[in-house]
Amino acid sequence: MAVARAGVLGIRWLQRASRNVVPLGARTAFHLNKDMLPGPYPRTPEERAAAAKKYNMRVEDYEPYPDDGMGYGDYPKLPDRSQHERDPWYDWDQPDLRLNWGETMHWDIDMYTRNRVDTSPTPISWDDMCKQLFSFVAFMVFMFWVGHKYPVYQPVAPKQYPYNDLYLERGGNPSEEPKPVVHYEI
Amino acid sequence: MSALTRLASFAAVAGRLFRSGRARAAGEGGVRHAGGGVHIEPRYRQFPQLTRTQVIWGETLSAIMWFWILWRFWHDSEAVLGHFPYPDPSQWTDEELGIPPDDED
Amino acid sequence: MHSSMILMTMIPLLTPIIITLIKPNNNLLYPHYVKLAIIYAFTVSMLSMTMFIFTGQESMISNWHWMTIQTIELSLNFKMDFFSMMFTPVALFVTWSIVEFSMWYMSSDPNINQFLKYLLIFLVTMLILITANNLFQLFIGWEGMGIMSFLLISWWHGRTDANTAALQAILYNRIGDIGFILAMTWFFLYSNSWDFQQMFILDRTPNSFPLMSLLLAATGKSAQFGLHPWLPSAMEGPTPVSALLHSSTMVVAGVFLIIRFHPMMENNSLIQTLTLSMGAITTLFTAICALTQNDLKKIVAFSTSSQLGLMMVTIGINQPHLAFLHICTHAFFKAMLFLSAGSIIHSLNNEQDIRKMGGLFKTLPFTSSSLIIGSFALMGMPFLTGFYSKDLIIETANTSYTNAWALTTTLVATSLTAMYSIRIIFFALAGYPRFTTLILINENNPKLMNPINRLALGSIFAGFLISNCVPPTSHPQVTMPWHLKLTALGVTILGLLVATELSLMTNSMKLSTPLKTFYFSNMLGFYSATTHRLNPHSSLTMSQNLTSALLDLFWLEKSMPKMTTQTQISASTTSSTQKGLIKLYFLSFFIPPMLALLLTI
Repeated sequence: MAVARAGVLGIRWLQRASRNVVPLGARTAFHLNKDMLPGPYPRTPEERAAAAKKYNMRVEDYEPYPDDGMGYGDYPKLPDRSQHERDPWYDWDQPDLRLNWGETMHWDIDMYTRNRVDTSPTPISWDDMCKQLFSFVAFMVFMFWVGHKYPVYQPVAPKQYPYNDLYLERGGNPSEEPKPVVHYEI
Repeated sequence: MSALTRLASFAAVAGRLFRSGRARAAGEGGVRHAGGGVHIEPRYRQFPQLTRTQVIWGETLSAIMWFWILWRFWHDSEAVLGHFPYPDPSQWTDEELGIPPDDED
Repeated sequence: MHSSMILMTMIPLLTPIIITLIKPNNNLLYPHYVKLAIIYAFTVSMLSMTMFIFTGQESMISNWHWMTIQTIELSLNFKMDFFSMMFTPVALFVTWSIVEFSMWYMSSDPNINQFLKYLLIFLVTMLILITANNLFQLFIGWEGMGIMSFLLISWWHGRTDANTAALQAILYNRIGDIGFILAMTWFFLYSNSWDFQQMFILDRTPNSFPLMSLLLAATGKSAQFGLHPWLPSAMEGPTPVSALLHSSTMVVAGVFLIIRFHPMMENNSLIQTLTLSMGAITTLFTAICALTQNDLKKIVAFSTSSQLGLMMVTIGINQPHLAFLHICTHAFFKAMLFLSAGSIIHSLNNEQDIRKMGGLFKTLPFTSSSLIIGSFALMGMPFLTGFYSKDLIIETANTSYTNAWALTTTLVATSLTAMYSIRIIFFALAGYPRFTTLILINENNPKLMNPINRLALGSIFAGFLISNCVPPTSHPQVTMPWHLKLTALGVTILGLLVATELSLMTNSMKLSTPLKTFYFSNMLGFYSATTHRLNPHSSLTMSQNLTSALLDLFWLEKSMPKMTTQTQISASTTSSTQKGLIKLYFLSFFIPPMLALLLTI
């Protein structure tokens, strides 16, 4: 026990010392070291099995990203499901992320956390939702335009028109002059 | 009137509860009444403790509201039903407008 | 005299905040200090409001020259006009009740002192916004409220939902702030001033750009359609926060901004139409959403949103004073509805689902009474507070020359108000209990009863008092046709009848799968379901790929090493004479003998 502890302490000391000895310029360009990065793309079944074991997965579930030069390496391609969809009542090790310890995370886990993208199923399909929402908005906008064209108001007097209150246009007799209506006396 | 009778029955219920609570408090000691702290002793399948003030004040608030509505309505019903009739120009008589009869020329 | 009284209102409010800077904030009596400061400020502001009503003297306090930015001179400038004088006591009264209520609601919270400090800072920023006389000072209040709302909504920051709601609130508000800053920039460039008087004098009819920006700002802050989803989400915060945010402070700030800038808007018909349409679509959309929600607080939140839409409609028909009246009256009953909801939620052990309530009429008599009063006032029951503003708004909308569809939607939304209010009463108060058998119901606490009591009395009488004390500011509509006069009452009664009819009908109907229209209402019109999924998904996928893969591929691989090799190769092939075309070379060797042969023959 003591030997093991001394060994651990010794290793830690060595690490610290090496960190001090190695000049600053020699550190990696970013904080990930080799252990944290995915390994090379698995080509043989043995390599696949090893990679699956590395990611705590079964071989049947393990499916790497296609090797198209995007640098995914052997990282498993997990389904694009957000953390919303996970069971809220299960006793997760990390309840706010709904993750267990040592569980392989999605490559884009920081996109699928609970306060970002939600992929949980909806009662009606995405297309229907978009259609209903946009048709509602479009209908409202159209009706506002219509309403703007034909506003409502309370008239206090009948509308007056030029040309003797549209006498001719309303089918009055052209040969006969309309009698001017005089309501006042000067 | 119905509100009054309801209030009376409520007060009776509340009074009974209140008395029973007090009796138990005297007997067992350490029973917390409703009121005082924020959280109370949970009760299982029992009507919650109601105090008389709470019931009476609840009824009073409603009574104040209805009194205010009805009282204002009695004195100021025009605010709801309209103060003045809307003028209809076609109903105006010539006499009101000061128009002399047509044959007076 | 006048100005010193205003300072006497403001400074005591700051003392509890300053105390916490001097010594650690762990005094058990700190909540009482906060409450006392607010009561004091309320009393003093009532005095100054009374003086204002009797003298009608508007004033401006401008004592301290703040700074000079190039050609613009900023000073600390308080505007004591009709709006700020009337609204300050209302805000203080409502906050007083809410602070007292939160002393009860949050009493088991270890950080209650900090909570009350946040509430107080929130109130102070609101008062800064109301009394500001230049755009910069208004901006301070505006942003202060944005930050404080973030802190308050995410008060229970251990919950991811609360964090999400707070993030939503702050992001939607930032979209609105873009508009605010655009407007500030425009006024800086074209008016060379941020003081309201100067801006209004210089531009009676400015072009629509700054006004559109201001409308965008108000849309964000007041949760109008398009930027509305943060308001119902903000219900994740503690109930006193919801009460404060959604009654008298934050959400009315946007409407208040538009009211402040009304001298510029009244002559611009484009912006009037836009405001009217925006308000009308908001009030209808959120009322539809409220109809099928099951969360008690969410229904009340959507009703707030609907009322904000109504205020926007009022501004759209060129009646800013009516909108302001509605802000004042709305503060009372909406705060009380939230406090009653808080009382119910606390009594039912944090159960917010109205389907799991029922029968509270018997067990919570006091809360039930106040909830009914609040709902009636919200519906516009004659002679309660809501009536005095809502009735006027609808009458004025009816009698003015206005967009027909906007008027129709507003009327429909008003009748929906009655529906969802009745729905709350029907589910929560009436019927038989559906809550758990372990009963924690207790409303008999003075810290709970007093605030609700005060606000209930306010919800009954405040409308009468305010509308009688306020000097008439616009020409009142003397008379109108009978059917228009009764529209306000009629649509409310119609909504009530339909709601009762539907609830009776459900008793005899078989269970069926809901219609698609139900989902439209229940899922908030799919607005958050679509926009909150599509936009973050596309932008995050793009940025994720850019940062983690494409950036490396492009800069570190394609741009330098591969590019170098490719240029080297192509350069060497173009520069050297040796092209490797062996067949051609051999062919060229073949040409001279052929030529020689041809020539010799």
